Amino acid sequence: MGFINSAKCSNEDLYVIQKFIRVVQKTNNMDNASRFCHSPTVPALLSTVGSGVMTTSTTSIEQADCIFVAGPNLQETYPIIARRVIRAKRKGARVIVVDPRRTVTVKSLADSYLQIYPATDNALINGMMRIIIDEGLEDKEFIEKRTKGLDELKDYLMTLDLNEIERITNIPLNVIKEAAITYATAKNACILYNSGIAQHGAGIENIKALADLALLTGNYGRPGAGVNPLRGHANGEGFGDMGPLPVFYPGFQSVNEETAKRFEEIWGVKDLPSQPGMTYMDMVEKCKVLYIVGANPMLAAPDTNRVRKALEEKDLLVVQDIFMTETAEMANIVLPAATFMEKDGTITGVDRRVQRINKAIQPPGDAKPDWVIFCELARIMGYEEKFSFDSPVQIFEEIRKCVPQYRGITYKRLKSPSGIQWPCPTEDHPGTEVMFVENFPTPDGLGQFQIAEYKPPLELPDDTYPYIFTNGRVVFHFHTGTMTRRTKRLNNELTHGFAEISREDARELAIEDGDQVLLKSRRGEIKTIARVTHDIRKGLIFMPWHFSECAPNVLTGPTAGPPSKMPEFKFCAVSIEKV
Amino acid sequence: MKDNLYLSWSSDDKIREMGESGGAVTALLKFALEMKLVDAVLAVKKRNGNRYDGVLSLITDPDEVVESAGSLHFAPVNVAKEIHKYLDGAKNLKIAVTCKPCDCRAIIELAKRGQINMANVILIGLNCTGTVLPVVAEKMIKDEYHVNPEDVVGEDLDNGKLIITLADGTRKEKNLEELEEKGYGRRENCRRCVFNIPRMADLACGKWGTKGKKATFIEICSQRGSELIEKAIETGALIVETPDEEAIEEREEKDRQAVELAQTWEQRDFDELRRLPYMDRLKYWLRYFNRCIKCFGCRDVCPICYCKDCYLEPERGFVQGGQTPPHMMFPLVRLAHVADSCVNCGQCEDACPMEIPLTRLYHMLNTELSSIFGYVPGMDVSEYPPLTTVTDEELHIEEVNVFRKN
Repeated sequence: MGFINSAKCSNEDLYVIQKFIRVVQKTNNMDNASRFCHSPTVPALLSTVGSGVMTTSTTSIEQADCIFVAGPNLQETYPIIARRVIRAKRKGARVIVVDPRRTVTVKSLADSYLQIYPATDNALINGMMRIIIDEGLEDKEFIEKRTKGLDELKDYLMTLDLNEIERITNIPLNVIKEAAITYATAKNACILYNSGIAQHGAGIENIKALADLALLTGNYGRPGAGVNPLRGHANGEGFGDMGPLPVFYPGFQSVNEETAKRFEEIWGVKDLPSQPGMTYMDMVEKCKVLYIVGANPMLAAPDTNRVRKALEEKDLLVVQDIFMTETAEMANIVLPAATFMEKDGTITGVDRRVQRINKAIQPPGDAKPDWVIFCELARIMGYEEKFSFDSPVQIFEEIRKCVPQYRGITYKRLKSPSGIQWPCPTEDHPGTEVMFVENFPTPDGLGQFQIAEYKPPLELPDDTYPYIFTNGRVVFHFHTGTMTRRTKRLNNELTHGFAEISREDARELAIEDGDQVLLKSRRGEIKTIARVTHDIRKGLIFMPWHFSECAPNVLTGPTAGPPSKMPEFKFCAVSIEKV
Repeated sequence: MKDNLYLSWSSDDKIREMGESGGAVTALLKFALEMKLVDAVLAVKKRNGNRYDGVLSLITDPDEVVESAGSLHFAPVNVAKEIHKYLDGAKNLKIAVTCKPCDCRAIIELAKRGQINMANVILIGLNCTGTVLPVVAEKMIKDEYHVNPEDVVGEDLDNGKLIITLADGTRKEKNLEELEEKGYGRRENCRRCVFNIPRMADLACGKWGTKGKKATFIEICSQRGSELIEKAIETGALIVETPDEEAIEEREEKDRQAVELAQTWEQRDFDELRRLPYMDRLKYWLRYFNRCIKCFGCRDVCPICYCKDCYLEPERGFVQGGQTPPHMMFPLVRLAHVADSCVNCGQCEDACPMEIPLTRLYHMLNTELSSIFGYVPGMDVSEYPPLTTVTDEELHIEEVNVFRKN
């Protein structure tokens, strides 16, 4: 039996869901859709700085004097964070953008643009670190006081050939050098990253490298500095805190005997599961019974044809969602859920900011908030006592008991729209804007340098599939389009997908803008419309992943091993031809 | 003209106490509701007692009116838009509305277009020399005044200073120009605004000319305003006295000073642009518009924009859908449609997530059109926008031919 949930749910929903799965089903077989987004972030940042959260707050990005945008197309995917960057720039900040595509973010925000060859990010960062050490620009005081392990990393970096890095990344060495020096000489340098860095086979290495870069230059513990993972969902941080994951109980307490015992006491139950559970794709493929809340694997998971087959073969597929998604259409039972406007609760934003969501209208028909559905299930299955919640505020009070970072937060304190950033240990604590000010939450309080060796991507282009395929988002749509393709104002802007192809490639293949094209990979094929542009590098093809009729995930497939098990969404091999 | 000017205050002790300057406005609103002269009152309340969270509230219970007492300078609400959008343009609802001069003007513009039923609306205009965005205000009070924003119980703009009053009665002041040089202070459009006394409303209320007395200076600007005041005086809800020459002069002088300051800002913001040749002006604005992500925020909040089938939407076929940034037709067509009627309320600039200084463009163009046509938007419901009343003959006048090289 497997459960998949998503960060579309509120904190209260997810807390009740994980409690149900552990108390009633007695299993840790649950995973969150963020497996496909930040599963490398947690192990990578845990091993370097002890915690995988956004270190600064979104407001203090304005205080950075150098912003290193490692991949995210901020202007289309995080306009409000792009706004912070605009304000920082007004004060003189320099913005470095790394992206294989010349996006609107590059055009309007970048002072320096590194058009990187896809999937070579950690090579670039290693190169930058080597340059920083060669130039003597590392923050010796910070390294001395607050880190360990630099010697080993230095040994590794000294073996690198910078000309080789120039070749691999396809960025001229003088440009890499300039970026490295700008970053290292800044007072507060801020790294922003998201899927472009994480959704790779080498996702963990990429993020380790970023953390190393920040540790090397002392860019931790101050507003406007740090390594900052952005999120894909409104409750992208909160879901993690609530623990609907195979390896964590609420509050990032690892699944083991000790934690299970602790929760048995808090919840007043027995026999809580103490073994780590299965991850997303494993459950999709192996579990006979699958219960999905707010996730759409038919569009969001890699290798769609395989996913379809797996879902078709389930003994029981239950989907709980707000609309009839492509996945819901395959379910035996569909449970209609309420949207964020139709329930009260809290969500925790990207910078650990707990905020209220306020009910504005009644849910339509039989739709109910996710937590209500699970409480009713629990009641039917005889666990009424442990799931007797009448309102979200009661659930939140229980969350405060289990998650130490939330202990000082109450609904009353959350009346202010700016919310409270955790950790917030007591009710008179104002919340924490910046993390790691004094020390890191590692066993010895020090940041640990990790060696992040460059590894090529999981599937390389070859003669049959000579082009690199990547995918991402556009401003008008959100994820699998469940909501935005049903919203006239947004959908009318962009009703169908497209494949971005460079002018040179288009010329060679006799493809013109607007032509129908066929893309094929080892796993499947899709048809779409070509968009010929100067703004993408030769050899690379980009598609937005919002459109089910030309879903990029029909083509994607290879997945990294544990601990991240992250599919390499951002790189696989395809062929393209005019139809 | 002296018999249309009054110094006034509430006869009710509690309201006089809670009010900013004697509670006259609050008393009038309460009176209007009690006498069923209106069905409801629109006024700004502090949500959860937070003066940085002012919300426009529809009040039907006379006893609730006192909760909106006191001026809030950190609440730039979009009154005209809310009446049009959420109260069906007051078609079937009699309301009394407190508003800033820009709100009054926007309401009058919407009334010209048949979108707000002026017969059902009593405009209680409030003197205004500018509002401050709540987030800016909080930061400014923390960083510049070194005060916990929650301790502020009042704020005022006077004599070139921004003065805050704390719970214990102490007052702290800072030079407004210095604050605004640093990026704090009033919204950009407010700084340039010369409309401080809302004479286009039914009543214009403020504290200039009160010589420090706890009273409100009311100027009656219309028949409807006159009737309301007369009734309020008759029933004893409002106590009045005639202002002396000194008071009247003080009021005029304050207005002159505020207009002068606004004109300085206007020169500062616009002269640079006015000096640029046309192609450079276009380049200047395209640099900003290249940041546009087509969120439609500007259009959604603009009180003048009310078309159900907007020219800018992709289905109309004029601005191609799905492009970021959108083609320059997107901002420029909206400009062409609205420029003659822009009241410089600043809501568009507040809404823009990419911090495009929209009011600089719209307001500037409006001032140029104003002087060409001798037309000021938002003053008189019977004065129609020049671009809707231009005649065929006028279109053929040589000097109007924009394609002629200068």
